[in-house]
Amino acid sequence: MTAFPAALLPLPVAIPLVVCAAMLATAHLLPGRLPDILATLTALSVAILCAVIAARAADSPLVYWFGGWEPRDGVHLGIGFSVDEASGWIAAFIGLLYALTFLFAWGFFDRTHGHFHILMLLFLAAMVGFCFTRDMFNLFVWFEVMSVAAFALTAYHLEESALAGAINFTVINSLAGFLMLGGIGLIYAQTGTLDFEGIAAAVARGGRDPVVAGAFCLAATALMIKGAIVPFQFWLADAHSVAPSPVSVIFSGSMVSLGLFGLAKVSAVVFAGSDQVQRTLPVLLIGMGSFTALLGGWMALLQRHLKRMLAFSTISHAGIMLTGIGALSAGGTGGMLIYVVGHGLVKGALFMIAGILLATRASIDEIALRGLGRGLGPAGIAMALAGLLLCGLPIGVLDQGTRLVQGALTQQGHGFAVAAGAIGAALTGAAVLRASGRIFLGLGPDPGDEAGAPSQDEREKANRPLWLMLAPCCVLLALDAGLPASLIEHGIPRAASAFMHRPAVGAFAEGPAWLPWASVAAALVGAGYGLFRKRLPAAVVRPVSVTQSAPTRALELLHSGLIGDYAAWLAVGVAAIAAVLTLV
Amino acid sequence: MSMLPYAVAAWLFGIGLYGIATSRNFIHLVGCLGVCQSATYVLLLGLGYRWGSIAPIFYDHPPGTPAVDPVMQALVLTDIVVGATLTALLLVLTIQAYKRGGSLDPEKLRPMRAGGKSGRDPGPSRVSDAERSVS
Amino acid sequence: MSPRARIALLVLAGLVLLPGTGAVIAGLPPFGSTIAQYGERINAITPQVRHVANMVSAINFDLRGLDTLGEEFMLLAAITGTVVLLRGRRGEGNTERAMRRPGRAVIPRSDTVVLVCRIAGPLTALFGLYVVLHATVTPGGGFQGGVILASATLLIYLGEGYAGWRDTVRSHWLDAMEGGGALLFTLCGLAPMLTGAAFMQNVLPLGTFRDVFSGGLMLVENLGVALAVTGGFTQLFLEFMEETRAADEPDEPGEESA
Repeated sequence: MTAFPAALLPLPVAIPLVVCAAMLATAHLLPGRLPDILATLTALSVAILCAVIAARAADSPLVYWFGGWEPRDGVHLGIGFSVDEASGWIAAFIGLLYALTFLFAWGFFDRTHGHFHILMLLFLAAMVGFCFTRDMFNLFVWFEVMSVAAFALTAYHLEESALAGAINFTVINSLAGFLMLGGIGLIYAQTGTLDFEGIAAAVARGGRDPVVAGAFCLAATALMIKGAIVPFQFWLADAHSVAPSPVSVIFSGSMVSLGLFGLAKVSAVVFAGSDQVQRTLPVLLIGMGSFTALLGGWMALLQRHLKRMLAFSTISHAGIMLTGIGALSAGGTGGMLIYVVGHGLVKGALFMIAGILLATRASIDEIALRGLGRGLGPAGIAMALAGLLLCGLPIGVLDQGTRLVQGALTQQGHGFAVAAGAIGAALTGAAVLRASGRIFLGLGPDPGDEAGAPSQDEREKANRPLWLMLAPCCVLLALDAGLPASLIEHGIPRAASAFMHRPAVGAFAEGPAWLPWASVAAALVGAGYGLFRKRLPAAVVRPVSVTQSAPTRALELLHSGLIGDYAAWLAVGVAAIAAVLTLV
Repeated sequence: MSMLPYAVAAWLFGIGLYGIATSRNFIHLVGCLGVCQSATYVLLLGLGYRWGSIAPIFYDHPPGTPAVDPVMQALVLTDIVVGATLTALLLVLTIQAYKRGGSLDPEKLRPMRAGGKSGRDPGPSRVSDAERSVS
Repeated sequence: MSPRARIALLVLAGLVLLPGTGAVIAGLPPFGSTIAQYGERINAITPQVRHVANMVSAINFDLRGLDTLGEEFMLLAAITGTVVLLRGRRGEGNTERAMRRPGRAVIPRSDTVVLVCRIAGPLTALFGLYVVLHATVTPGGGFQGGVILASATLLIYLGEGYAGWRDTVRSHWLDAMEGGGALLFTLCGLAPMLTGAAFMQNVLPLGTFRDVFSGGLMLVENLGVALAVTGGFTQLFLEFMEETRAADEPDEPGEESA
């Protein structure tokens, strides 16, 4: 018999599953708006349940054994859920993001008999399961459910580009699943268990072991593919830019960061006892993360297709999150967890604005939309605000996460990673600010330098009033800006320590106070340069365009959209991780 | 000899990845993905095997007879379902891509091309928009 | 990237990975020498505590039932996705009847084919049912049996033709089977919680070892899976089949062309 708070643990996964099975069984009988209502309520109830669980888990993690199979004589027989405070709040955030997305997509998918809602609810259940589980193989199962639901949702528009994006997404993420399964097989053969704690204990006993390192290499690669870390990032830009905008909200807001959340959990809990892995992690994660932050930011600045721009900005911010994990301290991981929530709120709002433009202005192309945003004032303000928050405007949740990550990195002398994160964030902010200036104020040359970037026009059904689409977007931004900072400051040291299974620590270090302002200033300069280039003296413009044109072209060529190239880069990435593991 | 199954698993994954990287036909690519997946079957079943053991089903043999690892077999069963779902979805995507692009060649299908339909400047894009809504 | 550059990259990566792979393989326990403690333990205790002979089913439906629940819904997601993506503009309206392509000849079947299918169809279905029902005793279970049952319906297509098949197989029923089976499985998890037990705890009488009626709750879960898999795979056949009959002009995306 399980006591009250722990007995809640299966419900946030089981409730969406029950609802979607029932919806499928009665698919053709459901009247028009019922799927919307049911899905929104389900997501809300998941959010509330997860919040209750998280609040109850504050003192010590809640543990639940499925089927009543508690460990016997030290052998873990069944599957367990183990929820610490941080995992619970992340799951609650995901539930809320879904509820708001369902509101945003109200009536958008009404011709599919609730099939869209079924896929989305499965996606939600899988994410919650992924956050809660303490079993390696169960983690893989939820990872795959997430993937399968995502593959189908990506191709929803059925245009050529959507299909190509979905195929690339499917192939690369399937390979990620196979790699992860291989890693699970290796670690199981070596430790004889699948439970996180059981594996951790066996790994700690084992000493330096190539099999453990190999298992980590495979599992980490899989999670980094999901987290879109360079050189595994290619699928993301293809998939996020073609998925329907409500789906992109979920992809960028939670799916990508969940991959990194999983990586943080696996490296802090499962492989905590392996010296080899722990010595490799800072080099590997901070190196790859910094590179990803810079490359993603730069690519974002080059785009004209709004959703593709936001996709690259997600890559950049995933890199920043990875550097947070790489700090290997409770401060860095805590900052990363806050960053996941803050980034999800802001990026979700931005994709919703992209969806609003698709629905009301029937285009997603920054240059085609030039000046067409007049009349959508609130959306413009929201987009500019989101852009400022993205590059580090020092208010709100995202900023708190940034400062904690920077603090942890500064403390350990990773100045390069701090700089890379700040520059990456500034570049993505510059891209968003430039786009909002061009779309909503009609600024900038027509067309600008971005004209050569890949783009494709699309449209989404305009069957919803503007306020209904704007409201969830504003709620997201208000949450990011308005969540009391003291609450997070107070809770995060405890939550992050519990997440990493480490003794509690005091307050965390924060990064330098001037850095966010520097990022904002850089973003404004970048956006201004993009918009007012023609008015600047040639002496300023010429060197910039000369130095950037060759690498820019090379980058565009790299993102070829060809699945063969992506597979080759995947192999290179695995080899790089393996090389670092062997050499360190 | 005692290493052979694991080496085969590694080789299968490598050769599957080579196939994906060089494939010129989506159906072939789906097959290559299946080859990559077979690597996981071989690895898992190999890791769970023990010489002289029976299948973990105690119908003809009494409980207590040495049997191979049932966990690995259950994991492979799940893995097979994963494979079936992925193949079905990929084939659907391939069918639809073929209908739209008229080609099964991955080199010809690109997610988004520079200067695609919406043109190099805003003018043509508005026109093509209007055309589409008329037709 | 040119194909040659791609292969060069792959070979390079392979060479870098070679020593690591070698070290991992050398570090693994030699093939066939031993099995993990977890599996050993399950083999040792499950026949007594759950009265089942098939350890794989015991793991799938009891010890690690949550994995199977996830797997079941993965299948559901894939099939729902397939339906959404294949239907597109073809729409939801015309799923009730067999569409006939104008200009495509209806080739009559030879009597032999019809006879063989009429004999083999029921036999296949019977075998599928057997595999489903004996999940806890002999190799088999809901997934395997469900797939066999679904292939039995294909024999109807082979023997009776597409129109005959479509008259037998209704898309809405398949949805109901698929969703209902998955719902049954999930409820098997939730129902024990009402009695204060854990999610998916085996609270039913366990029955007799080596008997069809052994394993308690596993039997119900197994039925749910079989139902869902049969419905799901038949739905999959139906959608692919319908695809071969769709009109040739590319269908616009269903929702967005306003």
